[in-house]
Amino acid sequence: QQVPIQGTVISETDNLPIIGASIIEKGTTNGTITDLDGNFTLNASSGSVIQISYVGYLTQELPVKGIPKQILLKEDAKALSEIVVTGYSTQKKADLTGSVSVVKMDDIENISTGNAMKSLQGRVPGVFIQSSGAPDGGATVRIRGIGTLGNNDPLYIIDGVPSKRSMNELSSTDIESIQVLKDASSASIYGSRAANGVVIVTTKKGKNNETKVDFRASLTAQDYSKSLELLDAEERGMVQWRAAMNDGVNPNFGVYNFEWHGDAATGYILDKVNMPEYLDQQKTMKPANTNWVDEVGRTGLTQNYNVTLSTGTQKGRALFSLDYFNNLGTVKGTEYDRFTARINSDYSLINDKLKIGENFSISKMRKSLINAQSILNMTHEIQPIIPVYTLDGGWGGPVAGMSDRHNPVRIIEDNKQNHEDVVRLFGDVNLDLEVLKNLHFRSKFGIDYTGYWQRNMQLTYVSGFMSESTNRLDNSANYGGNWILSNTLSYNFELGKNVVDVMGGQEMMKYSFNAISAGRDVFASEDPDYMYLDAGESNKRNAGSATAYSLLSYFGKVNYSFDNRYLISATVRYDGSSRFGANNRYGTFPAFSFGWRLSEESFFKAAFPYVSDLKLRYGWGQTGNQEIGDFASPALYQALYGTDPTWDSDHGTAYDISGTGTGDLLSGYRRTQQMNADLKWETTTQNNIGLDFGFINQKFSGSLDYFTKSTKDILINPPYIATIGEGGSRWVNGATLDNKGFEFILSYNDKIGDVGLSVTGNISSYKNKVVKLPEDVINSYAGNGNDQTILGRPLNSMFGYVAEGIFQNQSEVDAHVEQTGKGVGRLRFKDVNKDGKINDEDRTWLGVADPDFIYGLNVAVNWKNFDFSMFWNGLVGYNVNNEVKRYTDFISFFGGHNYGKRTLDAWTPQNSSSTIPALSLNDNNYESRYSSYFIENASYLKLANMEIGYTIPEHLLKSVYMKNARIYVMGQNLLTVKKTWGDDAFTGVDPETPNLSYPIPFSVTFGVNVTF
Amino acid sequence: NEQLNTPENVEKMVIAAYSSLGNDHYTEPNSPWPYGDLRSGDAYKGGAGTGDLQEFHFYETFTYLRDDIGLLDSKWYKEYVAISRANNALARLNAIDEADFSKKMIRIAEMRFLRAHYYFELKLLFKQIPFIDETVPVEEYINVSNVEFTSQQLWDKIIEEFRFAAQTLPDNNAEVGRANKWMAKSYLAKALLYAAYEQDEKHNVTNINKDKLTEVVNLTSEVINSGKYGLNADYADNFLCETENSKESIFAVQHSRNDGTLHGRLDWGAMLNYPMNPEYGCCGFHQASQNLVNSFQTDDKGLPKFADFNSKNLNTPDDLLQNNVDPRLNHSVAIPGLPYKYNPEFIFEAWWNRQPEVYGAFMSLKEVVLPDCPCFEKVNPFMSSSKNRDIIRYDDVLLWKAEALIELGRESEALPLINSIRERAANSTARLVDVQGDPTGKFVVGTYQPGINCTWTNDFARQALRWERRMEFAMEGFRFFDLVRWGIAAEYLNSYFAVEKTRREHLREAKFTKNRDEYFPIPKQQINFSKKLYVQNYGW
Repeated sequence: QQVPIQGTVISETDNLPIIGASIIEKGTTNGTITDLDGNFTLNASSGSVIQISYVGYLTQELPVKGIPKQILLKEDAKALSEIVVTGYSTQKKADLTGSVSVVKMDDIENISTGNAMKSLQGRVPGVFIQSSGAPDGGATVRIRGIGTLGNNDPLYIIDGVPSKRSMNELSSTDIESIQVLKDASSASIYGSRAANGVVIVTTKKGKNNETKVDFRASLTAQDYSKSLELLDAEERGMVQWRAAMNDGVNPNFGVYNFEWHGDAATGYILDKVNMPEYLDQQKTMKPANTNWVDEVGRTGLTQNYNVTLSTGTQKGRALFSLDYFNNLGTVKGTEYDRFTARINSDYSLINDKLKIGENFSISKMRKSLINAQSILNMTHEIQPIIPVYTLDGGWGGPVAGMSDRHNPVRIIEDNKQNHEDVVRLFGDVNLDLEVLKNLHFRSKFGIDYTGYWQRNMQLTYVSGFMSESTNRLDNSANYGGNWILSNTLSYNFELGKNVVDVMGGQEMMKYSFNAISAGRDVFASEDPDYMYLDAGESNKRNAGSATAYSLLSYFGKVNYSFDNRYLISATVRYDGSSRFGANNRYGTFPAFSFGWRLSEESFFKAAFPYVSDLKLRYGWGQTGNQEIGDFASPALYQALYGTDPTWDSDHGTAYDISGTGTGDLLSGYRRTQQMNADLKWETTTQNNIGLDFGFINQKFSGSLDYFTKSTKDILINPPYIATIGEGGSRWVNGATLDNKGFEFILSYNDKIGDVGLSVTGNISSYKNKVVKLPEDVINSYAGNGNDQTILGRPLNSMFGYVAEGIFQNQSEVDAHVEQTGKGVGRLRFKDVNKDGKINDEDRTWLGVADPDFIYGLNVAVNWKNFDFSMFWNGLVGYNVNNEVKRYTDFISFFGGHNYGKRTLDAWTPQNSSSTIPALSLNDNNYESRYSSYFIENASYLKLANMEIGYTIPEHLLKSVYMKNARIYVMGQNLLTVKKTWGDDAFTGVDPETPNLSYPIPFSVTFGVNVTF
Repeated sequence: NEQLNTPENVEKMVIAAYSSLGNDHYTEPNSPWPYGDLRSGDAYKGGAGTGDLQEFHFYETFTYLRDDIGLLDSKWYKEYVAISRANNALARLNAIDEADFSKKMIRIAEMRFLRAHYYFELKLLFKQIPFIDETVPVEEYINVSNVEFTSQQLWDKIIEEFRFAAQTLPDNNAEVGRANKWMAKSYLAKALLYAAYEQDEKHNVTNINKDKLTEVVNLTSEVINSGKYGLNADYADNFLCETENSKESIFAVQHSRNDGTLHGRLDWGAMLNYPMNPEYGCCGFHQASQNLVNSFQTDDKGLPKFADFNSKNLNTPDDLLQNNVDPRLNHSVAIPGLPYKYNPEFIFEAWWNRQPEVYGAFMSLKEVVLPDCPCFEKVNPFMSSSKNRDIIRYDDVLLWKAEALIELGRESEALPLINSIRERAANSTARLVDVQGDPTGKFVVGTYQPGINCTWTNDFARQALRWERRMEFAMEGFRFFDLVRWGIAAEYLNSYFAVEKTRREHLREAKFTKNRDEYFPIPKQQINFSKKLYVQNYGW
């Protein structure tokens, strides 16, 4: 007996009707699909069971009897129906034809790095993120390798408003979703700024029929991970003694003298390192044993609090959030503090025909001006025998025979009041009018403005032989940003099995920026409350500048699908920029892509029933890059009075022609740039082939992408023949760079009994190649400039000498080819060109500073109220030039400093297995040359993140009016596996932050998330 | 661009060209000490070991020097920046009607003088250089080769510029910093003197041009007879702030402070050359060699110990009291235990040196000032002063004349010139005293008295002249260029290294390669920019 049933299928996630869900009487072919409003009607036999299924949702089985009017479908973990925000529109993930990665915010929302992007390293295939432990959360984001010689930062589109500013100014909790448009077919709609990829960020909104308050708090303790193993005071003396004895000179110099015995033949034995009673003539410092690395470090603390109120009805929704983030870094004095407020709201009017909304956030950031990298550098530049403080409480500092480097504790203390403040206003108002059925007019006006203020007080001090008797204040401020206005018209219709979306639009943006700075010297008091400009007594100075640019764009897009099986998409953008030459102001950026959902083919369904999704994609497109100066095209002259010659040659135009020696000087103009009226975009052409797949109702799912990317007309400001003199530089379209690579991601989601399991792994790789460079700039890159050039090689190739180990005895030295400075215990360099002598013709290719593979693995398990997740990531085949080795292994490159503990293990006849050359005070063998000695393998595998959470059962919460509560503990940077063997072993501390980057701390977070 | 073609703005373009004289920095200083002293056996690099400004170590030892060393390229570039400013001003001056701008010809002469100065500096360092004047359009620069003119033709171009300036400039030009007739005549003489020693392509001196030398004698005589200049009574007055722009200073870079720039337009070429004691603190560069210090010894007649000066080391205050020395040593070199820069209460100590174990304990004195000098300025971590730097001094003019006379076989006319320099040196001891007012050395300088204490032959006179130049201009950065001019650099330096490397480990690999190291290589970057149009110097 047949009974009519009807109902509406609704997604539990967003309360929206599901279109095209299939309703089947189990065990039969009797069935239907839901219409545009999610409604269905079906005649089924009474007593049968109805299966309701939709791709990306868990299939439900319900008896015909008592079938509810509204059927809520729960989303599957990896949902194909996920709405993906693409350029100026949205699409279902299933319909995507480009290469788009969707970030699972759940995995990263509790990570308190202050920057959502920073947490993505290893999670999104094809996206390489390098960061450090710096509290401001800054990160370098590279999508699909290095595509250009200039700025490689991606374009961020936040709620439809483009921005090139770093994402650390946004509260991670406010983010609803992040999508990364990797290939040109998806990014090309953003035209002239999309060549480095586009990251689309959507912030949270209020939801229909729900009012709630979310409160989150977390507290993170960060362990100071020691950057370097340095000599202590006595060891520093031992190393000095050894080097001097090796050189055959008197070791008693500086603050040390020594007692020793033995002779040249059998070797000398050091008996005692003597230190003076006082280090300095003035008797203010006694010998100490300061561990400077410890002195500048501390346990860091990060706090993050967020309150989000959201409410909504059918007619209007609103969300208000406040977020406070404070990170006291593991290097003393480093701090980042951010306060963010956000209001997002939208309203439906005229029977839902008109929607008006706004998103608005205001952020206030404060950052200390202490440069942790330079502080960490100072810890090896100052000797351990120096005390932090003198006997009378002044600052310890270098004495005779030492280098002119600062006491880092003083630098921290004297700069702790110096900071910069940034206030950023970001947001948009938007409207969406349904002019006719399915014809939408959308308009958006967005702003992104920042104000910046900095005060830098430089105080007087005496620290050893270093001193400053003039205090100084410099203030700088700037204000700038852009507005955008975009208007689009879109229409979609269905004709049988044909579904068509058409969209066309226009966008304008104008950017302007103004800066001023001022300073004075000599202040009667160094009280931060006193030391303002007005109080300064001499050397008044000021400066100011401004810049601007604008863009005007038109764009269009067509998506077509036939029977959910064949998908075609095409976009075009026509962009104009004021930055370009009069002759080439506009550029066109086309793209198209195809998709074929094999899994929707009936023959395929029949043959491979366990395949729940299989889609083949191909896309082609062009994107642009306009990251050059705002005034790159015209010839420019500058009235430049003077410049700061401390670290760079003065290039001002003033001169004391009258010989008075002081007072205002006459000055003139200098040329700064030549004209290039033909300057145009650089254009990136990308091909992308991809395969999306899912098995067993998406229990396994994943995708594989292969891309090629070629950037032509790369904008470069090449060095030029010197005879042109000043201002010979001009921007030209000159170089070509090719990239290719692949990305693979595989997920497994299942529920076994009470245990939910989700595993996602990804791996990606890119290789780039310099295809073309103007002949006269080839020298600026690795190679010898003649027969060995960067052409045909990766941009980050390393070129230098090959170090072949250490000469063990005189006969080895004699047997080697002519090498100036060779000797027992010294490095032997390879005669690459076999001409019997070591010279610059023996340089060769030593490696590439790009990883071969980047990978990540995320495992999430939940059981009853407990959840657990861990995340591993790593790099394979990553070479770095380990600059740190210059002072962990050598004392001859720069005298008067402290050095690494590794120098204790340097080669001696008695310690001949050492790979570290014999100590010497002079680098007569020129071992500081760029050689394979410094190239190390920085591959690593890290347990980047591990989290355990407990959700408090609902019945316990009711009494306190809570809807949901979860507590968690999370560890970050927990374990590192690095290459410690072989010739290219990594001798530094953390391969993720080689050289002197701010080390990433080991940290533990306690957090609580509560919903009322 | 066209807006700049008014008389007012052209005057500003002229100032911008002068400004290059003082647009300085330690990595490729305008002051010639890294090029002229480190390469001459007069000075060691100093600083924190051989790796601290390693390029300078390469200059000093003539090892590992390559054509792609960045600091050579940036030195080359900086000189052309200066030249381009002069050319820019000249092109605009040419375009102006003299009726609108009465100083047109004077300014043109000033600019050609300055341009010639910058070309002169390039010529000494790199020998074969592209010569470009204001008539060449910028697009054509790429087609101008460094061998378009031979080395001698390049000298002729430079001489032509100075000759024009000498003919056109007034006796006095309103401001002291501006070129005048006498500056131009002096520089013309200097250029002619260098040009007179003709070199083949391998840098060997093959002929000494008598006509040019005669002109040197005439020009220097005009400067001497002008009455405008003279020797200061005390040699020290050439190296002090308070006596800058003295009658002995002919052409100097005008430095300034409290002038509206961030730190002042200081003598940045000397910013590394202060000691490491608390009154200063950086950076311990430019240290006198043992050989230089020894060379100041005089014999019992007060004449230089030409033959055996280097067999005995002068190191301590006692050494100076027990041996006859030329007082110019104490004006030029800081010696442990002796007053620093004429202040008897401010004693230079060995520990003021940065790395005495590598570079010994002597520092340089002429370019520095005392910490309480009003023209001293600390610019952490560096420091310097607004003291001017002399490019041409009257004592130099006297000795050019002497040199030209000797090479012309008129050594007897050179004798009084050299002796006038020695007499002034002998009299310059007033500031060289300790706190008791006693002399800090046994200062004995005698004049040459033919038949009494010497035989004034042509060869002897040449030796005396060359020695005198070393004493008079010690640590001022001219020495290496003298050695190359005379054609003796290879022999001189290799014999210097043979002894000095037994004293200083950092010189172990030092070796001057004859027919190569007389000049720096043409920077490889420039050869590439020129699409290999530029030709590398012989030997490189």
